[in-house]
Amino acid sequence: MKVKFFISCALLIGITACDKESDKPDFDRGAMLVDINNIVIENAYSINQSAFSQLDTDANGFASSPTLENLETLRNSFELAYLNFQHLKMFNFGYFEAYEIRKAINTYPTDTVKIQENINTGTYNLELAENVQAIGLPALDYLLFGRNDADVILAFTTDADAMNRMSYLTDLTLKMKNEINAAANAWSTESADFTASTGNDATGSTNVLFNTFVQDIELVKNAKLAIPAGNQTGGSTLPYYVEGYYSGLSTDLAAENIRALKTCFLGNTAIGFDDYIRDVESEDVQTSLADQIATKFDDCEQAIINIGSPLSEKVDTDNATVQNAYMQTKALVTYTKTDMASALGLLITFSDNDGD
Amino acid sequence: MVFSTIRFLFNGWVQTQYIEPSYHFSYYGFEWLPYPSNTMIWVLFILVLISSLLIMLGLFYKAATIVFFLSFTYIELLDKTYYLNHYYFVSLIGFLLIFINANQYYSLDAKLGFAKPSKTCHKWEIAILQFQIAIVYFYAGIAKVHADWLIEGQPLKYWLHTANHWGITGDFLKQDWVAIVFSWFGCIYDLTIVFFLLWKPSRKFAYFFVLVFHLTTWLLFPIGVFPWVMMAGTLIFFSESFHKKLLSFLPTFDLDYRKLKLKKSSYKLAIILPFAIFQIVFPLRSHAYDGDVFWTESGYRFSWRVMLMEKTGEATFYIKDQEKEIEINNADYLNKNQEKMMATQPDMILQFAHHLGELYKDTTINRFGHSLVFHHPSVHAEVFVTLNGRPHQKYVDKKHDLLLIDNNLAERNWLEPYQP
Repeated sequence: MKVKFFISCALLIGITACDKESDKPDFDRGAMLVDINNIVIENAYSINQSAFSQLDTDANGFASSPTLENLETLRNSFELAYLNFQHLKMFNFGYFEAYEIRKAINTYPTDTVKIQENINTGTYNLELAENVQAIGLPALDYLLFGRNDADVILAFTTDADAMNRMSYLTDLTLKMKNEINAAANAWSTESADFTASTGNDATGSTNVLFNTFVQDIELVKNAKLAIPAGNQTGGSTLPYYVEGYYSGLSTDLAAENIRALKTCFLGNTAIGFDDYIRDVESEDVQTSLADQIATKFDDCEQAIINIGSPLSEKVDTDNATVQNAYMQTKALVTYTKTDMASALGLLITFSDNDGD
Repeated sequence: MVFSTIRFLFNGWVQTQYIEPSYHFSYYGFEWLPYPSNTMIWVLFILVLISSLLIMLGLFYKAATIVFFLSFTYIELLDKTYYLNHYYFVSLIGFLLIFINANQYYSLDAKLGFAKPSKTCHKWEIAILQFQIAIVYFYAGIAKVHADWLIEGQPLKYWLHTANHWGITGDFLKQDWVAIVFSWFGCIYDLTIVFFLLWKPSRKFAYFFVLVFHLTTWLLFPIGVFPWVMMAGTLIFFSESFHKKLLSFLPTFDLDYRKLKLKKSSYKLAIILPFAIFQIVFPLRSHAYDGDVFWTESGYRFSWRVMLMEKTGEATFYIKDQEKEIEINNADYLNKNQEKMMATQPDMILQFAHHLGELYKDTTINRFGHSLVFHHPSVHAEVFVTLNGRPHQKYVDKKHDLLLIDNNLAERNWLEPYQP
């Protein structure tokens, strides 16, 4: 008995001793989370804070002097805010999720009837659920691009409801600026918990991040491409359902969204999911799954760029190219939901499993 | 079980797993089982809680075991999404407890006079529990004799990489050879542990390995209470004097016992023998099918294939009617767990397809302001899965109308061929 016990102890010690001859550096989920937070998430908050602050400044600049030049300035900051937001919306957890910031800033298609109604009455509570389709960037998209340049200026200057429309515009930009600032402030304390939660269970940050990451790829596939292209309506296209319908930014936003997701995947230049995958893989793998997924991101981006603009017209005039972009995005979803989830033991679930 | 039920209730899983989803995956042969109302689901959970508490105290034992077995099994049969081998194990033990008089020694029944106090029990009562544990280990061991497990060290290679490393074992657990060693150890452990537990000279040593094995899995993987069930359960192999020593810290109360002695007695043959035969035969049914059981999953459940494969899938469903085709968002009908489980299990893919067929038959739906009319839709799926670290492969091709395929026990020829 005792002899056997000692033999097994010796074996265990022997095995542990071999530890030192390891040929793979120890990958640390905690270090990955720190890098993704410091380099990707905090950057996303920072560029959005400045973009939405600039947007509000320029809206007020336009309000005090509604010239065509100021309209152009405002439209430029609108475009920058919209593009930057693609970098932030995937981090849908913590305060950002609890206060539904993504919904408040980017629910489309926007409800033009509701917007006009609010402008007419001049009294509204933008926090109410009934107004969720009358606020955010899509509402701005309509207000700033819904008519030709001269008519936009007229709508904000000489139309009967011009005063109200201008107030509505600045109310919207102020609301968004405050929301982004509040989420950024919350994150400055939440980020410590995020980087500390290094476990492999469903509530661990790696899993939480992976789930919102995959969800955001699926949003590109479904909301940005499949729905307008008619894939959920038996082939009847829905041009009005594209993101950025009035500005025609749809394709750019989709491409930017894919670039943002790729940045998260790579941890930008630091440690990201790609390094985690390489750590798990065997040495003798021919093409790393990390490289395959990175390539897939590029394929998606290129397929989306190939669509051209505006997407609202392309869904009818060149549906095949839109379908190709959709298929590429679907393939990316497959890679992340099968190969990547499996390799990293990531859970798209919320309770125990015994592996069967 | 008390702890486990409280944990289940505490985690809000009753709501998310059993009440919120609009569809539930019934078991083959149990489709007739009515799905209880929301209130009744809570009642069932309360029944499990109370009856397991009573069994622990040994109060109203007979009734409690029957209520426990029925309510627990009923819950398990509601949705195969949540199938776990250890829940099946608990159901089986619950069934056996009905026939075992485990309320005669240290129990409130005996103290309060509801049961005749006795210091003895029938040998078969212990033997059948030992047999059940032996079945679990042995078949789990047989299932591990597979090239993926023993040669590739998969899925342990992946799992050990991403396990909780507690800051110390990371480098070590990532070595490929460690996965192989762990795999072989697990396989040999499962195949032999029962023999070493049965043989008195090696018993304590074997139990040391039981503790090592289950504590290791508990520390590394999120697998709930199963390790604790097995660590406590295997104590059944120890002698009764050992158990008396183990429980000597408990407060005692005086009962009028006859002399302590294990006695042979009448077997409840009529029930126990068929039960035992069933336990031996049923896990073998996968061998009646062609193809790899990992791929087809024919006969996969109820056969003690535990922690054996890493299979992850993605399923996209399409409804077609004449020229019209729409893509389905699975999340509209299923919760995340159901979606995940369904994507890798052929019977669940079919069940969900048939459910969609029902929903879309002779129906007009409104999608984004568009009215769509369906009369005789066909349901198609494109499914990809990855198995034990292989690149994802096509599992189900979009060409099949899944409504034309019956969900039965036949060969699943409609799956794409497996490329190992």
